[in-house]
Amino acid sequence: MHKTKLQTIYFSLLVAFICVLLPWSGTALNLRPDFVLLVIIFWILRAPNKCNIGTAWFIGLWVDLATGGVFGQYALAYTVTTFVAVVYQRRLVLFSNTQQLVYVLLLLIISQLTLLTVKIFSGNDVLGWSYFLPSITGVILWQAAVALGLNTSRPSRSK
Amino acid sequence: MAGYHQNLDQQQAPAFFARGPSPLARLAFFSALSLALMATDSRLQYLGSVREQLMVVLQPLQLIANAPSMLYDSTSEYFSTHHRLLNENQFLRKQALIQAISLQKMNALALENTNLRELLAANQSLEEFSQLGEILHVGRDPFTKKIIVNRGSNQQVVDGAAVVDAKGVIGQVTRTYPASSEVTLITDKSLTIPIQIERNGLRAIAFGHGRDNTLDLPFLPANVDIKRGDQLITSGIDGVYPKGLAVATVTDIQISADSPFARIVCVPTGGIENHKQVLIVSISQPDSPANSGATTPPTGNANTTAKAAAATKPDAAQTAASKVPANTTPVAPVPAAADINQNKKPANPTPAVATEPSTANKPHAQD
Repeated sequence: MHKTKLQTIYFSLLVAFICVLLPWSGTALNLRPDFVLLVIIFWILRAPNKCNIGTAWFIGLWVDLATGGVFGQYALAYTVTTFVAVVYQRRLVLFSNTQQLVYVLLLLIISQLTLLTVKIFSGNDVLGWSYFLPSITGVILWQAAVALGLNTSRPSRSK
Repeated sequence: MAGYHQNLDQQQAPAFFARGPSPLARLAFFSALSLALMATDSRLQYLGSVREQLMVVLQPLQLIANAPSMLYDSTSEYFSTHHRLLNENQFLRKQALIQAISLQKMNALALENTNLRELLAANQSLEEFSQLGEILHVGRDPFTKKIIVNRGSNQQVVDGAAVVDAKGVIGQVTRTYPASSEVTLITDKSLTIPIQIERNGLRAIAFGHGRDNTLDLPFLPANVDIKRGDQLITSGIDGVYPKGLAVATVTDIQISADSPFARIVCVPTGGIENHKQVLIVSISQPDSPANSGATTPPTGNANTTAKAAAATKPDAAQTAASKVPANTTPVAPVPAAADINQNKKPANPTPAVATEPSTANKPHAQD
């Protein structure tokens, strides 16, 4: 159906994961967009037959490992988010650029809310509104990627 | 027409739209799997070794990710000016001189301390060893205050070891991996540290505040003898932190009429977030059985340790129960560490607080 290769998907996920592993600290850490989730959303919109909820869950486990938290938190957040993405995937490729941006913002916030819920259940404090800043930077990164020529629609249509 | 629509509704999606199991089924399956994992990881201890194995896989990726900043550091170091190096050299010389003097004093004091202890037929204080670790990166979870250092179980770092820097205590090792370990900072909400006010020897427990890099001293009465500017030092009764290390400075005391307790805010002395090197200090096991006392056989269980401590001292029970964050598993002592680590020195060089009975009597965390 698509020309996207499986290797491309996994390689991009690996690069995103290494971006997460970079030694972030201070303000940069608070602003750090969720690279992995952005890449997953991109591939789910573009090639849902290659990258789906299972992929998101699996890479979520690795993010859990990297953050050092309890196993399954990011996995759950990514699963829920990608579910919403998959359900609306067919509509989304018809969206305009701005509509898509709002939708991606919504997905990122869903992911953060899921994570927040899990964290609050395990006895953590609420961090305040700055907790949602990564969603904003994530959308900015998405817009930058779109401006650079990445496109969620099928490759045949984009050319 | 209506009948035609009904037909369409009941129709299955054509084969070329097939996507395998429905998204809802996948959501249910993977959510259940995540929840099961979370429950297993937080309540049972099965996943500890799995995590360690996976961290070994993660190690090369981490190296790649750290490479750019390491490269930047080393190049900027290379290009640092001659003048700055000269200045730094001069400063370090001065500092070394000052410290040499106090070191001489310390040797004399340690000797005197040993003699006095022998005179009193008191137990020998615990020995501690330390090794230098470098901070790899700050913890990635915004909800917790953690750092990752480049020493792990391969270098005999054990869970529960104290981590200090040049100015004071900064935290405790809560998880060890083969080549790195995770340090929970004292400002983390889950970490507590038994302290003593340097001025009057009052003991209390400091709790991390979690959000704004401060410590709290809760449950102290409103008329407690603590002033602004008081220094908090480790009390050493927990067997985790060596005695007498600087922890924090009291910066604010709020007494409100509607609460029987004072709200005491302290700022950590150690450079919690601005250092590259830290010292990992673990207190050794007392070797001779005479030291450990006949009452407490070594147990691996935090609860029994706490109970045993309660027999010795009422507030020690609380300490023993609270000094290790909930997700830390008690770890067997590593006797080999005594031989491998070079930087041995006698603990408790400061005779300042002599009222404290010897710490060796108390069961401690690494049992």
